[in-house]
Amino acid sequence: MNVQVDARSIGKAENFDGLLARNTRLNPGDPVRIRVRRFDADRPDQSGFESFVVPYDASMRVLDALNYIAEHFATDLAYRWLCGSKMCGTCAIRMNGREVLACWESVEPDMTIEPLRNLPVIRDLVVDRAPYEARVAKFEPWLERSTDYAGFPEPLSHKDMKNASKALDCISCMSCFSACPVVGLGNLTDFAGPAPLVQLAQTALDVRNDPAKVASALEHAGIFNCVSCYKCEEVCPAKIPIVTRIIEPLKAKTAELVPHAARHSMVFRAIVASRGRIDPSELVLRVQGAKVLLQVGRALRLLLRGKINPLKTLFGKNRGAADAASRILDQ
Amino acid sequence: MQIISTDVVVVGGGAAGCYAALELSRKNIESVIVCKGLVGKSGASLFAGNLVIGGGLLGNTPEQGSNTAEFLIKYHNQFLIDQNWAKRCGQWIENVYYPELEEAGLYFRRDDDGNVVTNPGKIRSVAANTQGNSGVPFMDLRRKQVMKAGIRRLEETSVTSLLRRPDGSVCGVFTVNCMTGEYAVVLGRAVILATGYSDRMHMRSTGTREMSGDGIAMAWRAGASLVNLEMQWWHTNDVAHPPTWQRIQIYPNPVLGSEHSARMVNSYGEEFFNQQIDDPMAFGPYTVQLKALVKQVRAGKARYDGGYFAGFDHVDPKEIDTYTTYGKPFYQLGRDPREGPIETAVTAHYRQGGILVDTTNMRSSVPGLYVAGGVSGHSNGLIALVTFDGKTVADGIAADIDHLLPGTLPEDQVESERRRIESMLATPGDGFAPVAVKELIRRIMWEKVGIEKNLAGLTSALEDLDQLRTLVLPNMKIKNRTRVANYEWLDVIDVHNMIDAAELIVHSSIERRESRGPFMRTDFPDTDNENWLAANIMVKTDNGFRFEQSPYELPFFQPGFVRRDNMTVPW
Repeated sequence: MNVQVDARSIGKAENFDGLLARNTRLNPGDPVRIRVRRFDADRPDQSGFESFVVPYDASMRVLDALNYIAEHFATDLAYRWLCGSKMCGTCAIRMNGREVLACWESVEPDMTIEPLRNLPVIRDLVVDRAPYEARVAKFEPWLERSTDYAGFPEPLSHKDMKNASKALDCISCMSCFSACPVVGLGNLTDFAGPAPLVQLAQTALDVRNDPAKVASALEHAGIFNCVSCYKCEEVCPAKIPIVTRIIEPLKAKTAELVPHAARHSMVFRAIVASRGRIDPSELVLRVQGAKVLLQVGRALRLLLRGKINPLKTLFGKNRGAADAASRILDQ
Repeated sequence: MQIISTDVVVVGGGAAGCYAALELSRKNIESVIVCKGLVGKSGASLFAGNLVIGGGLLGNTPEQGSNTAEFLIKYHNQFLIDQNWAKRCGQWIENVYYPELEEAGLYFRRDDDGNVVTNPGKIRSVAANTQGNSGVPFMDLRRKQVMKAGIRRLEETSVTSLLRRPDGSVCGVFTVNCMTGEYAVVLGRAVILATGYSDRMHMRSTGTREMSGDGIAMAWRAGASLVNLEMQWWHTNDVAHPPTWQRIQIYPNPVLGSEHSARMVNSYGEEFFNQQIDDPMAFGPYTVQLKALVKQVRAGKARYDGGYFAGFDHVDPKEIDTYTTYGKPFYQLGRDPREGPIETAVTAHYRQGGILVDTTNMRSSVPGLYVAGGVSGHSNGLIALVTFDGKTVADGIAADIDHLLPGTLPEDQVESERRRIESMLATPGDGFAPVAVKELIRRIMWEKVGIEKNLAGLTSALEDLDQLRTLVLPNMKIKNRTRVANYEWLDVIDVHNMIDAAELIVHSSIERRESRGPFMRTDFPDTDNENWLAANIMVKTDNGFRFEQSPYELPFFQPGFVRRDNMTVPW
């Protein structure tokens, strides 16, 4: 049976890490020990971890603990928040190594609080959102209709908007942007990152949008750099299935609208379908074409080390595996 | 210091400010949005749960259309509203607002058959994507429209004062960037204040972090008249614990696609409010719920700060999960809504009153100063109404533009404001931290200017505020004098606005000698339509202020009584 498993719930019930457990492990008055990473570019000597103990109170969130610290101990602690109710998405931080919304996550008895990764730190827990904003702006994330608007309410069904609707739950907190290992590689890839892609999906997966407009945005999304590690999905406080409902549909859109941007992936898929496994030599030959001749030296080295096998590429085929693969991929 | 010149300075990046800037842009009038938080992310607009369907929209019957108007005039504003304005606004919402939003891409939630999902009842509403979360995609859309239109934004930038020409007219603003600590002056032919409701004046408030009554305080300093400041809305069922969640409401309003809605239970376990049974209009206007709660508190079965509960234990969770986010606090606490309600408390919500405006063009009483949205005093909130303000103010400025002169740099004012703000960073005090002073003000407002008020308490609040002003404010302590992301510095600036706004609110509350809807004076328990069906206008004078009254016309709806105990009035 094919059971849908929510990525973020795996292992949590078994380890007593369910939400009820997290909300009931402390009693009012119990100490909450907090280490906060401080950073002040003007005072590097004062940067580093600072420890505080805060008394637990009913249903305390991480943000309540930070507010307590700012009211009683470190009045100069810089941390950003606006709404306190999982709507503005400005209070995301890292708690014990994972991204959480401070206003939403229950405190833990021992917490290490750090700013988000993959964004410059302005001071303490406040990060510069500008790199994210620039990536979103580059997508020009607004609707452009190829046909005239039909008047309110226009013909539209939830089936048409199924994936876009999920993307519209995004509060742009950038938890996923911080958790993403590919974004962490910096400029090594042109991957836009999960948060900007969710923003893009709001209009790119909207049936009302002009396909030409969607194509030009997908052109520089770098979407095939996603390694499908599900880190983004795991940390998303809005519970958006980012890989399955955003990234995968965007990949499909790219294959449809911008085939040259999807070339590597489509070739990879075709090879698996015909061989039942990937063949690196064929992949390189078919993706790079004549350019491969410029890399004869590297090919020889790979050959000597047994990393590629031309005989296998030319003659080796496992009929059974190929049939199974094409059956799965054609589903 | 950077000097930026534009046609119009828009202060505030919520629904009203964004729409004003967009409309100005469509008229080829340039504007700059200065936002204390982030455009589309700060202020009240983000909290829009759903969008009310008025008039004849989506198959509304004439009766449903009329109910919506009645609901706005009676339950939202207790007749303290220009009914002709309400009519103009309703027509615009029906003909322009909904189509504009949808054409731009807002997703009005459909079912799988393509029907727009509404709630049953005498007044209906729809959701942008999800009920309870409609403000998020709504404001995200506005943010992107602002980007698309190429409108300049100064974000995380606090406006500290309005700048004026020698003739007193407003010609720009002085700002400080909260991230860098840099000052900038933005000059314009006109300034639109769209800073939202003066929330976060009370210990419990739905206001967002950055709110501190800045709009009211700055407008008053510039000489603008204020109106009905005492009229304050309250939420009755916002989550009691943790404090951070004081803004999360267990909505008692009708649920999209369901016949049910939340119920409220007192400390004895007795149900005392169920939307479907207890609200004749079937759209729990907050006053109806508040009055039900006041009776419980007086009977010793609830407190304003807790001891009563709200929830959905009588509803199949599927009904609230299909189209709403109403289950979110339950689930995040690891609880099933069927297990029982959660503890709730009262929270100060929108302020109906604010800056006095001419509703035909949103001019304040000071030339060059225009107003839009919650900070104006002509109606209580709905995201559609504040958007209409954005349209009206843009029309008003477009009509006036030939007479509005380009902003000129008032060097003396700029220099003295720079010194004032700089001295707040250099404050040598060793007293309270500014964040603690904010809490002191909120506590005074909660305890003495709360739901049930009287002259003795209000007078005592004035004394407390005066003591804070003379003894505590000059001696606040800033721990770190960095200019970078220094929220302590921002708090000092805020405190001075908060205390001004608080005092103005208390004076207005003393002046209105009656009870009306959510405004409850125990020393004047009657709703007095003979003397107080009128705007309570506060006018600045050379040595203080005076009050004036201006009666409201009642062309479409009338209260139908002269004087009655407010607790027996349905609205």
